[in-house]
Amino acid sequence: MLKIQNLSKTYPNGTQALKNVSFDVKDGEFLVVIGLSGSGKSTLLRCINRLIEPTEGKIFWDDVDITAAPPAELRRIRRKIGMVFQQFNLVKRSSVMTNVLSGRLGYVNPWTSLLGIWAQEDKQRALQALDRVGIADKAYSRADALSGGQQQRVGIARALMQDPKLILADEPVASLDPVLSHSILQYLEGLNKEGITVICSLHFLDLVHRYATRVVALKDGVKVFEGSAKEIDRAKFKEIYGEEAQEVRAASL
Amino acid sequence: MSNETATRRPVVRSGVASAVVPGLGQFLLGERYRGVGILLGFLVILATVIWYGKPLWYASPILIWLWNVWDAISLAGGRARSILLPLFFGLAAAYGIGWQVVEIDFSKANMDRALAILRPMTRPDFIQPRREVNQMWVPVQVPCSSQPPAARREDAGRVATVIPDCGGVGETLIVNVTGMWANAETSIFWQNPIGNPLMLGEGEISMLTLTTDESGSLTTTIRVPSTALVAAPDPTLPQFHRVYFEQYRPAGGYELSFIGGEVLKGALATISMALMATGLAMLFAVPLSFLAARNLMSGNPVTYAVYVIVRTLLNILRSIESLIIAIIFVVIVGLGPFAGMLALALHSVAALGKLYSEVIEGIDPGPIEAVRATGANWLQVVRYAVIPQIIPPFTAFTIYRWDINVRSATVIGLVGGGGIGYLLIELIRVNNMRGVSAVFIAIAFIVIVLDYVSAKLRERLV
Ligand SMILES: Nc1ncnc2c1ncn2[C@@H]1O[C@H](COP(=O)(O)OP(=O)(O)OP(=O)(O)O)[C@@H](O)[C@H]1O
Ligand SMILES: [Mg+2]
Repeated sequence: MLKIQNLSKTYPNGTQALKNVSFDVKDGEFLVVIGLSGSGKSTLLRCINRLIEPTEGKIFWDDVDITAAPPAELRRIRRKIGMVFQQFNLVKRSSVMTNVLSGRLGYVNPWTSLLGIWAQEDKQRALQALDRVGIADKAYSRADALSGGQQQRVGIARALMQDPKLILADEPVASLDPVLSHSILQYLEGLNKEGITVICSLHFLDLVHRYATRVVALKDGVKVFEGSAKEIDRAKFKEIYGEEAQEVRAASL
Repeated sequence: MSNETATRRPVVRSGVASAVVPGLGQFLLGERYRGVGILLGFLVILATVIWYGKPLWYASPILIWLWNVWDAISLAGGRARSILLPLFFGLAAAYGIGWQVVEIDFSKANMDRALAILRPMTRPDFIQPRREVNQMWVPVQVPCSSQPPAARREDAGRVATVIPDCGGVGETLIVNVTGMWANAETSIFWQNPIGNPLMLGEGEISMLTLTTDESGSLTTTIRVPSTALVAAPDPTLPQFHRVYFEQYRPAGGYELSFIGGEVLKGALATISMALMATGLAMLFAVPLSFLAARNLMSGNPVTYAVYVIVRTLLNILRSIESLIIAIIFVVIVGLGPFAGMLALALHSVAALGKLYSEVIEGIDPGPIEAVRATGANWLQVVRYAVIPQIIPPFTAFTIYRWDINVRSATVIGLVGGGGIGYLLIELIRVNNMRGVSAVFIAIAFIVIVLDYVSAKLRERLV
């Protein structure tokens, strides 16, 4: 169980990206975060694994206070939280294999990893992860030689290497076409069914309806909605996205 | 009517103000930058013409002053005048004075002197026809001892004799040699016991040259050179001197000349100097560049302070020309390529440090946050997210720096830093223009080839 309590983030330039946000995420949920561009979705997800330091508030994960964890403990917490990014965030010049293996860095001996030496077991695990997302044959290609959809699958394989209990996915499909979007989200859904909690920010409401077990909506850093996707009626939609907003469906693009 | 006087007053006031202090009228009308600019420009030009002291140029500040009054008056009427006019007056004065200050004088060009230098340069001293040498010598005792040994020597079928067997300075000797090449020009010279050659021709300032007969023999008389005993510790002590016979003939083909060999050695020294300097610089620049990268160091105040200090040091170091650093190192470690290498290395640390740190600052932060998110520690983040992104551009910049260092190394030789530049300055000093031309060609060749190679290598890295 993840408890987010009174979370606020003010950037050094004064931007208030999150304002007093609180909600809980139960184990096994597929929680989707929605909101306009700039509403604070990325900031929220990055506060959970402290890639961004929250200004105020607390985050408890199974009663461990993430926000108070000292560096070594934070790294142990992070290795159980996989992260998937909109821009994939692969090292483009490295091989797919190296990218996937880097997901294991939190577990292995730091010194041998610095020399680029990996245990056979980890390599095996990497190949399995790639196999799982259907691109085992690309293991030794350079990451930038892959298409966008393939790169995102490498991103998921990297997260899988962490043996995660929680996956944070920040707009994982925003750079992909609708068909690929579904295929990527289906991988996440599969992982979710195996018991991994997923917190995912999404743009398209039809995807939200299809995958979310619960939805949190942000507007200008404030939580404006929390509930099931079905509860988002016209009025709620207008409240979240503004008066002029029109619903766009990913499938219709 | 009252309206007209109202507009008239500022017109007069601005004109008078600007006449007294250029720019003041404009300043008072609210055009502050314009006013200050006019004043400064006027003062600079005025100071320049006063310093130069030629009355003709006073026209320039006067014209600017006139324009300034006109501008102030127009401005009061709401219309600014183009600043192109005073700019032109100012530039005309500056350029005219500049022309005279640098003493431009085409009548000074001396074509004869130029040709005397350029003509030998058309024949670079790099290779020469190969020749064979046939050399023979015979010992002679100077001055005579009581029992001088025979002045006769046989070697490979050749026999050389001197009669009598010994002699004092200025005495006449008959020398004979047989078994040399037939009908060949033969140089005959004296060699004192410490190995210095002395000439035997007219007045001892030219080479004595004769031709052998059909059987390869020649006989002539010589005088023991007046300087034969100059280097002797005790002129009364008999010592063995030598008379040399030397013949040359073409052996077909060409060989590297002495200067040519020196040029090659210099070129090699220059390239190695640059290579060593670049390598050494890289060792220091890589760690420094991480400390000088803002994105890595701006996390907390301590690292940020380190960043500022390293950056500042690199900037200061980079602003010192490697030529000047070389002069300092020549004093510390003496003349030669080592001094040049150290100077290049020091300058390159700064240059590479800056280039590297810019590469680090320009890397994609995405992979870094992705690797941090896996629970990796700082070193692992650097190893897996930073280094793969920076190795290719680092290599490219290093090759580029090596290329620059080779060019600098040629120049650094001029201040005693060794390599081909040092050879060049030596050759210029002894007015060996054929050698100079060989060096020029070598430098051009190195630079062009290296330019090409480094461009090709870098192309493959991007
Ligand atoms: N590093 C930063 N420094 C200052 N302000 C930032 C920074 N990162 C984000 N912001 C601001 O914080 C607010 C929230 O940004 P955030 O990236 O969390 O929004 P988002 O909902 O993810 O938007 P998008 O859908 O465009 O990704 C925005 O106003 C943004 O400009
Ligand atoms: Mg975002």
